[in-house]
Amino acid sequence: MSERKLGRRMALYAVVCTTIIYSFFPIYWMIISSFRDDQSLYADFSLLPGPFHLVNYEVLLGLTDYPNWFANSLLVAFGTVCITLLLSVLIAYSVTRLKFRGKTAVVGTMLYAYMFPPLLLAIPLFSLFVKLDIDDTRFSLMISHCTISLPLGVWLLWGFFKQIPVDVEEAAMVDGCSRLKAFVLVVLPLTLPGLVTVAIFSFLLSWTDYTFALVMISTDSLKTLPAGLDTMVGSYELRWGELMAGSTLIALPLLIMFMFLSRYFIRGLSAGSLKG
Amino acid sequence: MRGERVLYTIFAVAFGLTALLILYPAYYALELSFQDLDSFISEPEWVGFQNYAAVLDQPEFWAALGRGFIFAGITIVLQIVLGIGFATLLDAAIPGKPLVRGLTVLPYLLPTIIVALTFQWMLDSQVGVFTQGVRLFGYEYIPWGESSFAAMTVVILLSVWIWTPFVTLAALAGLQSVPGELYEAARVDGANAWQRFWHITIPQLRPVLTVVLLLRAIWMFNKFDIIWLTTRGGPLQGTEHLPVLAYRKTFELYEVGEGAAVSAISFVILSVFVLIYFYFFPIDEKEE
Repeated sequence: MSERKLGRRMALYAVVCTTIIYSFFPIYWMIISSFRDDQSLYADFSLLPGPFHLVNYEVLLGLTDYPNWFANSLLVAFGTVCITLLLSVLIAYSVTRLKFRGKTAVVGTMLYAYMFPPLLLAIPLFSLFVKLDIDDTRFSLMISHCTISLPLGVWLLWGFFKQIPVDVEEAAMVDGCSRLKAFVLVVLPLTLPGLVTVAIFSFLLSWTDYTFALVMISTDSLKTLPAGLDTMVGSYELRWGELMAGSTLIALPLLIMFMFLSRYFIRGLSAGSLKG
Repeated sequence: MRGERVLYTIFAVAFGLTALLILYPAYYALELSFQDLDSFISEPEWVGFQNYAAVLDQPEFWAALGRGFIFAGITIVLQIVLGIGFATLLDAAIPGKPLVRGLTVLPYLLPTIIVALTFQWMLDSQVGVFTQGVRLFGYEYIPWGESSFAAMTVVILLSVWIWTPFVTLAALAGLQSVPGELYEAARVDGANAWQRFWHITIPQLRPVLTVVLLLRAIWMFNKFDIIWLTTRGGPLQGTEHLPVLAYRKTFELYEVGEGAAVSAISFVILSVFVLIYFYFFPIDEKEE
């Protein structure tokens, strides 16, 4: 009996190990490859980490547009987060507090829009940006990212706001607060976890987006990281060390955020926060 | 209540902006599909259903449509099977659970470009780690970029790797809400592990799985980036599905109208799934 139990435990451990290797090996390989020089990348072969060189990072940061792309990505993601938070708070809050016909239609529209695939929106959006003469700008990319992050924000915050009883702010308003004051001092603090979740996922959507960036931006120096890194694939012979260094640097902010904010991540993901 | 009018104004402005941002482009895509234009700056000409007729007449459209169903169908089945497997594992008593859960979820957060590049590096024909591993066992390298079948297999496996955590998390949440007494009762009645899984776990997960299935269908059918980044739809259009076809028509062949028609058709297919979703999961106003 105990032998069978031991066998079962061993089998469970084996499955756990396989799962970890399956999920993590590619990430591990990306990181250790980024620190290898050409000799150890192409000639010597080892599964263990090392040797440890910074040559790929030096080339990437010194000789390519990469630092530029990094700054563009940060700028676009930051703008997307700000616009998304502002508009989705306003919409979600007013939808939960107002009584009018067609409210469900508003929320339904948001949910529907949340299911739109980026490419289907990207083509008409690009065409509109051309007409407005703002195509090929970082601003247009920021606006495009909002088309995916806004519906998500409204949808998530709608769930948060409707859990807060109207009595809470009515009590504050009876005590002499204006609606704005009641909202800022009473309601917003209660929805803080929701705001953090929306901020994280808007950032994530913008930071990882490739499709919109591909369609919207054609000038190399204006590209964001995913589209920029992709241009390095097409341009000359594949420099795997540098490409892996570039990939690692894109993943780094996400890995750090994931380590420190993992409960928001898991909660948001369980609520379906990433389309894809 | 006080401040109602302000609230209405705020709502109207914010929702108006959002609708402009999302619904207008969707409408505009439809409009484009009825026009003939060969670049975004040329003067459009209204041609009615001509673009649709042209597109439906092309064998490449039907081939792309079929590939889209194959790609979506296989990836969804694999994601659901693997996702339920991982969820069952994460629900069991295993050592270091938070860490294992975190690592299992991680692929889902990575930008597609990273996944596409890393796997291409791992599958490199000379020095890729998979290639070396396969050689170690005495097999030869498969030039996956040269046959449609191999390229499609790679794209499908990559998609499964990235998007399975979505199913895992949903199924895990579902599993945690299954009452433990059900398993106890089944055990008393002599059901083995497989019977318990098949007759208790799966039926209990059904509502969750329906949502997952519909959302996966909506998104996998329109995945663009993973295919474009890994194969560009090649070799010889061997992995091209509707979104890639729409992109190629619009930005490489400069058939903006036909590209928009292809998008509009994908859009209709997508909307069918969305309608099914809303039918099964109506937005409940009473919750408010």
